Amino acid sequence: MKKPLPTRILLYVLLGIVVCVFVVPIVWSALLSIRPSITNRTLPPTLIFRPTLKHFYYCFVKPGVSLNWLISSLIVASSATLLSLPFSILAAYAFSRFKFFGRKFLMLWYLSLFLGPPIVFLIPYVIIMSRIGLVGSYLSMIIVYQTFTIPFSILVIKSFFDEIPVALEEAAMVDGAGRFGAVIKVVIPLSLPGIIVASMFAFVFSWNNAVFPLVLSARTTKPLPVGTLNFFATTGITWNYIAATSLVTMLPPMLIFLVLGRYIVRGLTFGAIK
Amino acid sequence: MRFDASGGDVQKEYIMLNIKRHFLPYWFIGPSLLFLVLIVVYPLGFSLYYSFQIWNLQISAVPLGPAGLTNYINAINDPTFVQAFINTIKLSVSVTAIEFIFGLGIALLLNENLKGVNIIRAILIMPTTVAPMVAGFLFRYLYYPDGLISFFLSSMKIPLPQEGILGNAATALWGIAFTDIWEWTPFFAIILLAGLKSIPAEIIEAAQVDGATFFRTFWHLMLPNLKFVSLIILMIRFMQVFNLFDIIYAETMGGPGTSTRTLSYNLYYRGLVEYNIGYASAIAWIMIIIIAVIINIFIIFSFRGKEL
Repeated sequence: MKKPLPTRILLYVLLGIVVCVFVVPIVWSALLSIRPSITNRTLPPTLIFRPTLKHFYYCFVKPGVSLNWLISSLIVASSATLLSLPFSILAAYAFSRFKFFGRKFLMLWYLSLFLGPPIVFLIPYVIIMSRIGLVGSYLSMIIVYQTFTIPFSILVIKSFFDEIPVALEEAAMVDGAGRFGAVIKVVIPLSLPGIIVASMFAFVFSWNNAVFPLVLSARTTKPLPVGTLNFFATTGITWNYIAATSLVTMLPPMLIFLVLGRYIVRGLTFGAIK
Repeated sequence: MRFDASGGDVQKEYIMLNIKRHFLPYWFIGPSLLFLVLIVVYPLGFSLYYSFQIWNLQISAVPLGPAGLTNYINAINDPTFVQAFINTIKLSVSVTAIEFIFGLGIALLLNENLKGVNIIRAILIMPTTVAPMVAGFLFRYLYYPDGLISFFLSSMKIPLPQEGILGNAATALWGIAFTDIWEWTPFFAIILLAGLKSIPAEIIEAAQVDGATFFRTFWHLMLPNLKFVSLIILMIRFMQVFNLFDIIYAETMGGPGTSTRTLSYNLYYRGLVEYNIGYASAIAWIMIIIIAVIINIFIIFSFRGKEL
């Protein structure tokens, strides 16, 4: 049923407003990263300027202060994702295939780990990590990130395992593969897309995390969001560098979400909604 | 004799097999469970212990002795803690509600047969992908008295405080709230839209042919179908806003004064700026108890009678 023209025009106007509200802040920060700093804070805001790449050059090439943070972010987020996978694939399989004592309790506990306040871990972690000499290391962050990457990946991967017919792995077990063999030869290959989706989300959550590295990272191991805070402290607030570094921080999660497409809903609701 | 012995062996083997079967799930769960107990339960137990100790790192490197319930009593009687609690409730209730309402509106808009809707849906998720800390940086710039948002609001003749939106105790909390609303309204929109799309189009068309108004279709057909989805995302978002920290750290650091401190920021400040470990551990445990209650209420509501 086609709506009358005035209604359609109104809907298009609303759509335009929605797009503006959600896109303009990002576009504005992208502009900030390429504008001469003299136009940063003018009234009215400057729209026309000669774009420059020198802020990106300063941040990522020479002297490249943000480059170090970018490398830290990559190391920490990808290691945290990889470390969580073996743990979560095994647990997801158990939740998907077995009925056992404590199953529902454990699943809800994992869910609540994801909903609970990360901040309550901060103090015990700083003290424990400094006692075992890990404060400031990549490893301390990678371990702490498991408090959310493992429960998250378990719930998402389980929702993918649920879709694979049990008959397939039973056939493999009849053919002589053990339970673990069936998981490795049948279940994992078939649910590989699901495992990739879970890993991508785990990567994004680790990449975007700033609470833990705020206290656990050292000067050389700071990831991007925490490193960017340096630009607020030194010689006044250097907004162009903040914008250039922020843009690089925003890009990977945006690209990943673009690739994920229809899996976004499932990932963002921890597998509860397909 | 021989027969008996072999019979016993068979039986023993059978029992072993059963035990193996019985324990099989735990071989799969075990590694992650042990690891999580080590990195979740142990640190929390650690802070439970120190919440009953007198320990300020600025005064002493080791705890100075048992404190009984002093830390807990001090926390509850601390006006900053009470203010942080009120801020947290204000933020989580209003932000979640606003995000849900706008998200539902946008989902309904995107569900219309309009040109370009698919591209807009892909673009719209962008704010949700931004790290909350980074979103805080962006909006701190936009909120400056000469920033884009202030410029826009004052050109609409909306009076703003001279010291900027984030510099004024009355408006700073709403500045933080708006940042979160900007970031997460698309999350509601995209997920509610998926819920709307899962309702068969024929049913909606049939209702419209029968002369149902948009409001009636929405109320009787769409809303009941969105109930479970809505409960899940309201739960997720309510908890995330309840724990809000990054945006506050990036935008106001709890200021001006203590006007934008939430429970999370207050805990961070007491523990890692003032180094009062015992006191901060007590705050942490008060938070854990509050959150455990809320999560359990949510779980009872959303998963009642549901297979997991």
